[in-house]
Amino acid sequence: MSIYFDNAATSFPKPEEVCEAMLQYQRELGVSSGRGAYKKALEVDGMVFKTRSLLGRLFNIKDATRIIFTSNVTESLNLALKGLIESGDHVITTHMEHNAVWRPLKVLEEERGLKLTVLSCPEGEKFNPGDLEKAISPETRLVVVNHASNVTGTLMPKEAGGICREKGVPLLVDAAQTAGVYPIDVEELKVDLLAFTGHKGLLGPTGTGGLYIAPGIDLKPLKEGGTGGESILERQPDHLPDKYEAGTPNLVGLAGLGAAVRYILDRGLENIRRHERELTQRALETFPQVPALTLYGPSSAEERVAVLSFNLGGLPPEEVSYVLDEAYHIMVRAGLHCAPKAHRCLGTVDRGTVRIGLGIFNTEEELEYLTKALKEIAVQAKS
Amino acid sequence: MLLKDVELTYVSPCLADPQKIRLKARLSDDISEVMPYLNSVVKGAIYNHHAPNISFHKEFRLITLYPTEMTMIKALNTTDAWQVIEWLKELINKTHEKKDEIEPSYERKRRPHPLQLYTWLPATNCRECGELSCIAFAVLLFSGQQKLERCKPLFTEKYREHKEVLMEMASVLGGGEDIRIHY
Ligand SMILES: Cc1ncc(COP(=O)(O)O)c(C=O)c1O
Repeated sequence: MSIYFDNAATSFPKPEEVCEAMLQYQRELGVSSGRGAYKKALEVDGMVFKTRSLLGRLFNIKDATRIIFTSNVTESLNLALKGLIESGDHVITTHMEHNAVWRPLKVLEEERGLKLTVLSCPEGEKFNPGDLEKAISPETRLVVVNHASNVTGTLMPKEAGGICREKGVPLLVDAAQTAGVYPIDVEELKVDLLAFTGHKGLLGPTGTGGLYIAPGIDLKPLKEGGTGGESILERQPDHLPDKYEAGTPNLVGLAGLGAAVRYILDRGLENIRRHERELTQRALETFPQVPALTLYGPSSAEERVAVLSFNLGGLPPEEVSYVLDEAYHIMVRAGLHCAPKAHRCLGTVDRGTVRIGLGIFNTEEELEYLTKALKEIAVQAKS
Repeated sequence: MLLKDVELTYVSPCLADPQKIRLKARLSDDISEVMPYLNSVVKGAIYNHHAPNISFHKEFRLITLYPTEMTMIKALNTTDAWQVIEWLKELINKTHEKKDEIEPSYERKRRPHPLQLYTWLPATNCRECGELSCIAFAVLLFSGQQKLERCKPLFTEKYREHKEVLMEMASVLGGGEDIRIHY
């Protein structure tokens, strides 16, 4: 038997309902959505809407037409950043961002002369809301931060939305690590752009994701093309979501994502969060018992999602993950986790960390087994 | 729950506005009994108890409900349409649930507002009707001093849907009693 602790990369396994919905779509519907066609196509169109409206319920988005489907959060972030930033704009972000934020920002720096302010997050703690307030200037066009770090699980400070709203600066949140596992209410968080991916905490298949665009925010589309309607127009239609959804959508994926969100709503997000918080708390208590283990990030489970990074003495992270896999059949991730700047905050740029991403299907027993394995590796490494 | 499901059966571009769509849908249950209650709670509804059918606006969209069918004109796209259908389902089911607290209205029709009439006019200001603008025409139509038939562009294929909506509205206004409804 093997144990999967890489849910921060992608969640596994998926609920049976997700697999069934995908199979059912492919076997029994299988046609493209869009109008001007036959009833079955309209039924598929209805399925896509259902997925959109379930996501609306999960995130408290009243107008589901403002949820744009993309192929993953990377595309959502690219659309938000490249669709909004204009030449000479000022943008604020943090050192803890994923490359899905960093790399588009770097391109915009080169191509559109974007000016960047980067908030520091010493030792992987959350940034100081006061720093954010001070960094905002009249030229600031956007604040972009992750809702939770994919390296340390650190949650964004709750004050961020209020500060941005007060200063009239849009807030773009990368919710890759929180959607489906931590409560998100776009009104309460005061986010203007919420980017999420379908295949992590949302428990859907890969190749799904989305972007919520609040009223009043207008983005340039990343792509133009067919929309299944309004074919007579030479330009991309102005209305959401069609404006941003050119091309045949990932229908089999959206069937699965819909079933996944339904599963989350049925199980109750509070229950999912409680389970993951308890597991995280357990890990925070037991990991320090492992000799020479350095744990990074906040010490309280309240301040993080179920993602933990650590190092074991001087052992290279790759070696730890290799031994865990080979000798214990435990799957964890090693390296920089696509967030090189975050490791500057942690002091781990030269080697990265071992990361575990806990999920709703993980148990305390599995965590015990991991702790035992780590203890054994630590002892062996010493001798 | 009175209305369990709505199934889209037909979608196509609006004739006068290809940026928008019109659609037909099938209702899983007969909603006739809730119509007089909707007529009470929905502002500006036009109800025909004998048909029966009831029409009303949701912002710029026009919805007409029949016992087991519905139509919508001027929806933005299918996502928009589905969202309005969800809203409609809730409206119908909530109204049905609260039936005992609502005074049903069998009033055949309510007079539409001149601006409501204007929304459906071609807005070409072509003056063929003899008025200076479509707004002026709408106001005179409202007061029974103009006839819908004088609006020439309205009787072309492009504005067929608009004409049908306006005929329905105008039939309450005097001036247009001789016009039958063509739904
Ligand atoms: C914080 C964060 N942002 C962005 C991404 C990119 O996600 P995806 O590959 O689904 O686009 C990830 C995960 O890899 C992540 O953890």
